[in-house]
Amino acid sequence: MFRGLVAGQYVPRRSFVHGLDPRTKILASLALITVIFLVGDFPGYGVLAALVIASIAASWLPILAVLRGLRPILFLVVLTFLLQVFLGGHDDGTVLWGGGPFVVTREGVREGAFVAVRLLILVTSTSLLTLTTSPMDLTEGLERLLRPFRRVGVPAHELAMMMTIALRFVPTLIDETEKIMKAQMARGAELQSGNLFQRARAMIPILVPLFVSAFRRADELALAMEARCYRGGEGRTRMRQLRFGAGDLFAAFTVTAVGALAVWWGRVS
Amino acid sequence: MSPRAASPDHPEIAPANADAVIACEDVSHVYQAGTPLESVAVQGVSLRIGRGEFVGIVGPTGSGKSTLVQHFNGLLRPTSGRVIVAGESLDRRGADVRKVRRTVGLLFQYPEHQLFEETVARDVAFGPRNLGLDEEDVEERVTWALRLVGLDPERFGPRSPFSLSGGEMRRVAIAGVLAMKPAVLVLDEPTAGLDPVGRREILDRVQSLRAEQKITIVLVAHSMDDVARLCERIVVLHQGRVALDAPTRAAFSAADRLREIGLDVPRVSDLLWRLRAGGLPVRTDRLTVAEAVDEIARTMRAGASGGRRERGDA
Ligand SMILES: Nc1ncnc2c1ncn2[C@@H]1O[C@H](COP(=O)(O)OP(=O)(O)OP(=O)(O)O)[C@@H](O)[C@H]1O
Ligand SMILES: [Mg+2]
Repeated sequence: MFRGLVAGQYVPRRSFVHGLDPRTKILASLALITVIFLVGDFPGYGVLAALVIASIAASWLPILAVLRGLRPILFLVVLTFLLQVFLGGHDDGTVLWGGGPFVVTREGVREGAFVAVRLLILVTSTSLLTLTTSPMDLTEGLERLLRPFRRVGVPAHELAMMMTIALRFVPTLIDETEKIMKAQMARGAELQSGNLFQRARAMIPILVPLFVSAFRRADELALAMEARCYRGGEGRTRMRQLRFGAGDLFAAFTVTAVGALAVWWGRVS
Repeated sequence: MSPRAASPDHPEIAPANADAVIACEDVSHVYQAGTPLESVAVQGVSLRIGRGEFVGIVGPTGSGKSTLVQHFNGLLRPTSGRVIVAGESLDRRGADVRKVRRTVGLLFQYPEHQLFEETVARDVAFGPRNLGLDEEDVEERVTWALRLVGLDPERFGPRSPFSLSGGEMRRVAIAGVLAMKPAVLVLDEPTAGLDPVGRREILDRVQSLRAEQKITIVLVAHSMDDVARLCERIVVLHQGRVALDAPTRAAFSAADRLREIGLDVPRVSDLLWRLRAGGLPVRTDRLTVAEAVDEIARTMRAGASGGRRERGDA
């Protein structure tokens, strides 16, 4: 019922992008996000879009999977566009269409399209990170990047471990929800009818067992980890060591160069 | 079994089968069809379960038992094929699924994980309330169902279900389904994880319930001994297909076939087979210990010389 709906889920492939060090990919994504907000005009986004498309191509991802990941936010994009166009306060521009209290101006449409494109590029580039990096690598990379900040009190290992566990249990909880829903439906529960209040009440028979089982699982997991002598990140070694390679250098250079180009080209004239 | 006219909506059900409460026709179920994770759980299953029958469904882990029985009350829709329950074709748009869920009570595997109310009594009352019964009837059914599963309503009714032992929780969950008084009761491994005494007790109660209420029962089980003792007919699933569908006695005299699939044979049948392999010409279609004792005694009396030789070997 819910499975396969998770957007941006890791798609295993053997490609240039998949083979990059997760740290490179995380930093590149952060850099791209910054650049996206620095760019002030369309030509800059043209440059960024080219980079994103080139990255998708270099990661051998099925283009459909990437597009499907965009579907959930399409509504948001359209809504943002419409809000900008109608309520963006561009009443003094070149009027394209006027009806009643709403006026559509050239500047409004331009502004709306700008925000919509910004959102699209933002989501695509970040989902590219999760699409090409396994959750294990992702948390590992994050831990290594946060490590220098341990001195100022950032619990790098604990944060990464929490993220790993949370990601690991998402499918389990989805399965569990599905099972409990079915069991209560078999007992005659009505989940899809009634007013808002009735529907909220109908969630109780699902949520209570779900929480009970989540807590039980957490308990069991903690016990199992302790039974195997887990005691935090101190002195832990890794089976797989992260290493930067020539590809990482190339990727870092490309992202920096293209990012700079985008900012320069996309500056507000 | 009460004779029933063929439903006019479904003339394709032959009158001979008009008594089928559950009819599956070439049912297949594929999980996550069209994705890389696609998995075929049930494949081309045709099955008719008659009114009043006691059918056992067995099969190795992952053979599709749970998937199949979830079609029986419309929780799953077949990917292809048809499921007709109490004359209602479930693949049809606008099929009355509510009616089907009232007719067929389904107890899930590990049902104790679905308890949610503050007290046992209120949890058992969840089903009957959903049926729209008035409070008096609901209360009556709760008491009845709790007694039936061997829990004292006075003592357990007001307790929190989360303060019970695993076995007691299981009984409460079973009571929750029984309280809906379904005409067909589908039990998906109701005794998994219980001790032998608890297992026997629950199954015996299921059996007496059937004798009293004349309901149809489908029992999914791992233990061949339980199935052999209780069911009249056995359906063996193997890799999503029906590998065997026969009356109990006939099914276990096909012991080789069962072993091939990787299933156990009831201990009694197993013993008889070994004796036979060892040279004692016993019949292998005996299912209870008493029957087996009689059979062995009879054979040994009949072939006194063969019996003596056997003892000499030992
Ligand atoms: N929700 C699901 N999504 C995807 N695949 C599933 C799902 N449920 C079951 N399967 C798969 O379908 C197959 C049949 O599963 P099913 O639960 O019906 O087996 P079973 O005979 O009940 O096994 P068991 O004896 O362990 O209960 C298995 O291979 C299983 O992995
Ligand atoms: Mg099962």
